[in-house]
Amino acid sequence: MEAEARPKIIGARVQRVEDPRLLAGRGAFIDDVNLPGTLHVAFCRSDHAHARIVDIDSAEASRMPGVTAIFTAADIEGKMHPIRATSRMADYFATELPVLARDKVRYVGESVVAVVAANRYLAEDAAERVAITYEPLGHAIDPVAAAEAGSPLLHEEAGTNVIVTRTFARGDVDEVLASAPVRIGDTFRMHRKTPAAMENRGYLAEYDQGRRALTLHSTTQIPGIVRDALVEMLDLPGNRLRVVAPDVGGGFGGKGALYPEEILVCIIARQLGRPVKWLSDRLEDLMTTNQAFDEIVEAELACDEEGRILGLRAEVIGDVGAYSIYPWTAAIEPVQVVSFLPGPYRVPVYRGRVRAVATSKTPTGAYRGVGRPISTFVMERLIDMAAAKLSLDPLEMRRRNMVRAEEFPYKSASGIVWDRAGFMECLDGVATAADYKALRQIQTEARAAGRWVGIGLASYAELTGLGSRIAVAPGMPVNTGTESARIRVDSTGAVTAYFGIASQGQGLETTLAQVIAEELGVRLEDVEVIQGDSAVVAHGTGTYASRSAVLAGGAAILSARAVREKVLEAASHLLEADVGDIDTGNGRIFVKGTDRALSFRELARAVYSEIGRLPREVREGMDLEATRMYDPYFGTTTPASHLAMVEIDPETYGVTITRYVVAEDCGRIINPLIADGQVQGGVAQGIGAALMEEVVHDDAGQILTASLMDYVVPTAMEIPAMEIIHLETERPDNIGGFRGMGEGGTIGAPAALANAISDALAPLGIMINELPATPERLFRLIEAATTRNERRATRVG
Amino acid sequence: MIRVTVNGVTSEHAVEPRLLLTDFLRHHLGLTGTHVGCEQGVCGACTVILNGDSVRACLCLVVQADGGEIETVEGLGTVDNLNPLQKAFQEHHALQCGFCTPGMLMTGVDLLRKYPLATDAEIREGLSGNLCRCTGYVHVVQAIRSVVQAEKNGS
Amino acid sequence: MKPPAFEYLAATSLAQAVAALANDEAKIIAGGQSLVPMLNFRLLAPSLLVDITRIPGLDAIEEDGGGGLRIGALTRHHTLETSAMVQARFPVLSAAMKHVAHLAVRNRGTIGGSLCHADPAAELPGLALLLNAQLKTTQRTVAAADFFEGALSTALAGDEILTEIQLPALPPRTGWGFEEFARRSGDFALTAVGATVSLSDGEVAEARIVVIGADDTPLRASAAEVLLTDRSGIAAAAIAAQGQVSPNGDLHGSADYRRHLVGVLTRRALTAAWRRASGTGGEAP
Ligand SMILES: Cc1cc2nc3c(=O)[nH]c(=O)nc-3n(C[C@H](O)[C@H](O)[C@H](O)COP(=O)(O)OP(=O)(O)OC[C@H]3O[C@@H](n4cnc5c(N)ncnc54)[C@H](O)[C@@H]3O)c2cc1C
Ligand code: FES
Ligand code: FES
Repeated sequence: MEAEARPKIIGARVQRVEDPRLLAGRGAFIDDVNLPGTLHVAFCRSDHAHARIVDIDSAEASRMPGVTAIFTAADIEGKMHPIRATSRMADYFATELPVLARDKVRYVGESVVAVVAANRYLAEDAAERVAITYEPLGHAIDPVAAAEAGSPLLHEEAGTNVIVTRTFARGDVDEVLASAPVRIGDTFRMHRKTPAAMENRGYLAEYDQGRRALTLHSTTQIPGIVRDALVEMLDLPGNRLRVVAPDVGGGFGGKGALYPEEILVCIIARQLGRPVKWLSDRLEDLMTTNQAFDEIVEAELACDEEGRILGLRAEVIGDVGAYSIYPWTAAIEPVQVVSFLPGPYRVPVYRGRVRAVATSKTPTGAYRGVGRPISTFVMERLIDMAAAKLSLDPLEMRRRNMVRAEEFPYKSASGIVWDRAGFMECLDGVATAADYKALRQIQTEARAAGRWVGIGLASYAELTGLGSRIAVAPGMPVNTGTESARIRVDSTGAVTAYFGIASQGQGLETTLAQVIAEELGVRLEDVEVIQGDSAVVAHGTGTYASRSAVLAGGAAILSARAVREKVLEAASHLLEADVGDIDTGNGRIFVKGTDRALSFRELARAVYSEIGRLPREVREGMDLEATRMYDPYFGTTTPASHLAMVEIDPETYGVTITRYVVAEDCGRIINPLIADGQVQGGVAQGIGAALMEEVVHDDAGQILTASLMDYVVPTAMEIPAMEIIHLETERPDNIGGFRGMGEGGTIGAPAALANAISDALAPLGIMINELPATPERLFRLIEAATTRNERRATRVG
Repeated sequence: MIRVTVNGVTSEHAVEPRLLLTDFLRHHLGLTGTHVGCEQGVCGACTVILNGDSVRACLCLVVQADGGEIETVEGLGTVDNLNPLQKAFQEHHALQCGFCTPGMLMTGVDLLRKYPLATDAEIREGLSGNLCRCTGYVHVVQAIRSVVQAEKNGS
Repeated sequence: MKPPAFEYLAATSLAQAVAALANDEAKIIAGGQSLVPMLNFRLLAPSLLVDITRIPGLDAIEEDGGGGLRIGALTRHHTLETSAMVQARFPVLSAAMKHVAHLAVRNRGTIGGSLCHADPAAELPGLALLLNAQLKTTQRTVAAADFFEGALSTALAGDEILTEIQLPALPPRTGWGFEEFARRSGDFALTAVGATVSLSDGEVAEARIVVIGADDTPLRASAAEVLLTDRSGIAAAAIAAQGQVSPNGDLHGSADYRRHLVGVLTRRALTAAWRRASGTGGEAP
C-alpha cells in the first residue's frame, strides 16, 4: 500500500468542533455550572458619581429571609493584599482597584456592599433594604474640565486627574506645519462604547476546605493572569488556586481584565466555605464592565502640493474613567491612539501627545481594536480632508502615502516597526473588488438625481501576535509575549492538547486542533483541545490582542513537532525502519513507500502498555508528550483596507450601508470560514461604533444607557452583507506564518463609514468628525449647514 | 402547583409566582441551553417556544405557563443528531461564542413556520429581535436561507 | 434584575378579576411584555398580579355588522398583524403592527396591554386614536380620544379592565399611510405618523393624522387634518402637524429632531394615503 499523502488541514474550511454542543444547548457557560450549596451575591452599587460614604446600615437587610452574610469594605479589610496596575511608564499614577468601595465612590455602579443569600431573588430583596448614606463630592465628568487644575480630584494622592501623560515624537513638527503648503486639521471625537458581550460577566468561587484550595470559574479572557494576581492577593500557592474559564459568551476585551467582583467571590467563598456565585445582570454590565473608545483628538496634517504627507501633530485626551484597570492600566487605550495614529502611511515627522484623564465614570479598558478604531478614524478622515482640499481622489491620496513593498521593515514615526505585509495590496484589492471607478460613476448619477450617496475608504495596520519584545500595554510588568502548549498522546492513542489561552467564540478549539492534526499527522477528530484553565499549563495569559493564533498556534506547532519526533523514534523500533523513512498522516504512522504501518493507538499501546516491545535503552525517558513555549519576539503586521458605500435619506437622515468590502492580509489562513466570521463580527461592531453605539452620562455622571434598549447595538437589519478578500502576501516571520486578525474589522469600519457619510454630505460642506454619526447628530449638522448655506446664499444674492 | 410539558416531558412543580420562566428552565429543570442576556426582552437569548409560539422566557412568569407546552433548544436535536436548522448553523459558521445561538435557533423555528422568508431582507427583519455580538449576522442569514431553500426543494 | 415577590391570581372571569383588583396594590398582567420588564427592574412592586389571560372570550376579532371590527383586549399582536379581517378593513393597522417589537414579543403582547400601558412611542395607542376607536371596559365605553392622559397614564380606574376595542368602519375610498422612524428595527418609534385620506367626488372628504412619539401621548394633528379638507395641500398640513406637537427630547432624539421628523413623516404618510385613496400614482396635492 502506498501511504496516503498527508491531507491539508490547515487552510481547510472545516466545521467547528465546538459547534454541536453549543447548538444542542449543551455548552457550559458560567451560569450553567451549578455546584450544590451555592450562595448568590447581589451588590448595592453607588448611585452617585463621586461621593463620600458616610454610613452603611445593613441591619434590616441582614434579617431578611435567606441572607447568609453581608460584606462591606471594612469586612474584607486584611483578607487580601490590595492590587494596583503598575507600569514602568513615566508620568503614570497607578490608582488603587478597590474590591468594595472604601470611604468614597468614584462612579455610578461601583460596588459598595455585597449581600450573600440563598438565591439571587432573595439577595436582591435584601440588597434593597441596605441603606447607604452618601455625601456628594464634586464630580469630574467632562475630561477636559477634569484635566484642569482645580477640578475635584478622584484620587487625591495623585494630585491631579491626569494619570498618564505620554508623547511620541520624531522631528520638529511645528516647523513642518508652519511651512507646509497644505495644512488641515480639526478636533475629532469618538464617544464611549461598551463591549456588550451577549453573556454578562459572572464568577463562581469554590473553596475546598480539605485541600485548602480555591477554584474560580470565571468568564475571563485571561485565566492565567487572574490566577497569578489572585495568588499574590490571597496568599495561596499557584497549585492550590485554579482559574477556569468555561464556555464564554463573547469577550471583546470586556472580559479581559481582573474585576473586583471576581476577587470578592473568592474571598467570600474562602470565608464561608461555600461556593459563591455572582452573575452580572445587564444593568450591572452596562454600568461596570470596562468601557472604551472615549477620546478627543485635536490633530493636524501637513502635505505638499502633490498630497505627500509631511507631518502630523495630535493632542489626545482620553477619558479613562475612575480607576486604572489590572493589568493593562488606564494607558492601554489612549496611548495606542497616539502610537498608531500615523497608520500605514509614511509620516516623516510626528508629534503625538496623550493625556489620560480620570473621571467619575466606569473604568475603561481594552475593547476590540483598542485605540486603533480612534486613531484610524482620525487619520483616515485627515487623509480624506487633505484629498478634498487638493482635489485628489481619496484612493490616489492613499496610494501616494502608503508604505510601499520595498520599504519594509518600516519604522513608523511613533517607533512601530511594520514587517512586510500587503498594505498596498489590500488597498488595491478592495478597490478592484468593489470596482471603485464604477462606484464613483454610480455616485455621480445618484447625486445628480438628488440622492445622498457616499463612498468611504479606510486603511490601517495593526500589530498582532505580540512577542516578548513588545508589551501589550506600555510598561506593564506582566509578560504577554509567550504562550505554551502541552500535547499528549495517551495510552489509547488519543491526542489531548492543553493551552493557556481562553476562547470566547473565536473557534480556537477548532483552529488549534487543525494545526496539531496537520503537524502531528492525525485526524482532526483525534485531537481534543483543552483551554481556558490555568491548571493545565504552567504559564499562559489568555486570549486578547489578536494573539492566540500566532502565539498558541506557534506553541502548538512546536510541541506537536516535539511529540511527532517521539512518535517517530518509538515507531522506528516497532517498524524496524529509520526515523527518516517514517512519516505520519491521517492517524497512521508508516514507512514511506511500503505497507508497513501502525495506528497511533497501536503505537501508544506499545509505548505505554507493552513497553517490552521497545529496546531497553530507549525506554527511559520515553513518553509521547511535550510542552513547548513560543515567543514570536516581535509582533506581526496585519493590514487591511475597508470600503463602505452609504446612502442617506435626505429627510430622515437615516443611514443605509449599501456596500461593504474588506481586503485584509491575515497571512496563512487556518480556517477561511472562521476568518470570514472574525471579519464580519468585527465590522459589525465597527458599524455599531460608527452609527449607533454610545454610552451616555448626564452632567451628574448618571449613566443613561443602562439597558440594551438605550445602548443600541446593531441588529441583523443594520448589518449588510459583506465581501471579504483574504490576501496572503509574504508569510510573516513567525513559525506558523499566521497574522492575528481578531480585531481588525472593528478598526476599519468607523473610519470607512465616517468617510462615506462625509462624502455623501460633501455637497453640504459637512464633515463627520464625531462618532457615532447618529441620526440626531446628522440632523444637527445638516440644520447648521443649511442655515450656513442659506446665509451665504443671501449674502451672495 | 404548576404543571408544564417541556420537550415532551410533563412535570409538576411548586414555584413562587415571581419565578421567571428562564430561571425555572435553567435552575429547576437544569435545561441550561436557554440563555439570559438582558431580562428585558431585548436580546432574544432566552427565546423558547410556548404553546407553538416563540416567546421571551425572561418576560414570562412560569405560573403563566401553567398547563403549557414548552420547547427549548434541548428539544431540537442532540449533539450526535443535530436537526437541519442546527446543521445549517454549523455548516455556515453561524455561531461563534454560541451564547445567542439557542435564541436564534428557536426564533428560526418560529420564523420558518410563520413566514415565507422569501428574501434576505425578510430573514433579517425576522432575526432583528435576536442580538448577536459575534457574527455580524451574515452567516446566520445564510444558514436560515439554506434551510428555506432546502424546505422548498424538499416539498 | 429579578422581580420582587407578589401574589398571583389567574382569574377565570372578569368579575373575579375586578374583585381582586379592589386591592390597591394589585396590578393586571396580560402579555407581560411591558409589565415584566418593569418588575425585573423593580420599578414596580405590586402585592398581587391578576392574570387576565385565562378569562375566556376576550381574544376574538369579530365583524361588527357595520363594516367595523370588535377586537378583544387579549388579542395578541401577532394575531392582529396577520388577521385577514384586519388587513381587509384596516390595512393601516396591519402595516403598523409590523413595526411593533419582534415576533416573540408580538406573540405575547396584547392590544389591551399596549393601550393600557400607554407608551407615548407605541404604535397601537396611536392607531386607536387614528381609527376613532371606542374602548370598552368593565365599567363603560371610552373614546380613544379621551383614554390617553399622559405618558404611561390612562383614564382607567385601578379596578377597571379594558375588554374590547371597537373600530368603526372607515369611509369608502379611504387610503392610508403609515411611516415610522426608529433607531433600530423593532425599537419603539422615534416618531411615527399614521394617516388616512377619504375621498368623495375627487375631493378630500376626511383626513386623519396621528403623530406618535412626539408628545406625552399620541396626538391627532387636527389642525393639519383641516388643511387637507380645505385644499391647502399636504405640504401645509405637514407644517401644521409640526406646529401642533411639543416633543420631548431624550438620548435617541432631541425635541427639534422629532419635530423635524413629524413634518417629513406626515408628508410621506399623507402622500401614500392620498395615492391609495385616489388609486393613482399621481402627484399628491
Ligand atoms: C423588546 C421589546 C420591544 C418592544 N417594542 C415595542 C414597539 O416597538 N412598539 C410597541 O408598541 N410596543 C413595543 N413593546 C411593548 C409591547 O408591545 C407590549 O406587549 C405591550 O406594550 C403591552 O402588552 P401586554 O399584553 O404585554 O401588557 P402587560 O405588560 O401585561 O401590561 C401592560 C400594562 O397594561 C395593563 N393592562 C394590560 N392589559 C390590561 C387590560 N386589559 N385592562 C387594563 N389594564 C391592562 C397592565 O396592568 C400593565 O400596567 C416592546 C416590548 C419589548 C419587550
Ligand atoms: S434575556 Fe430575554 S430577551 Fe434578553
Ligand atoms: S455567537 Fe456570540 S453572541 Fe451570537
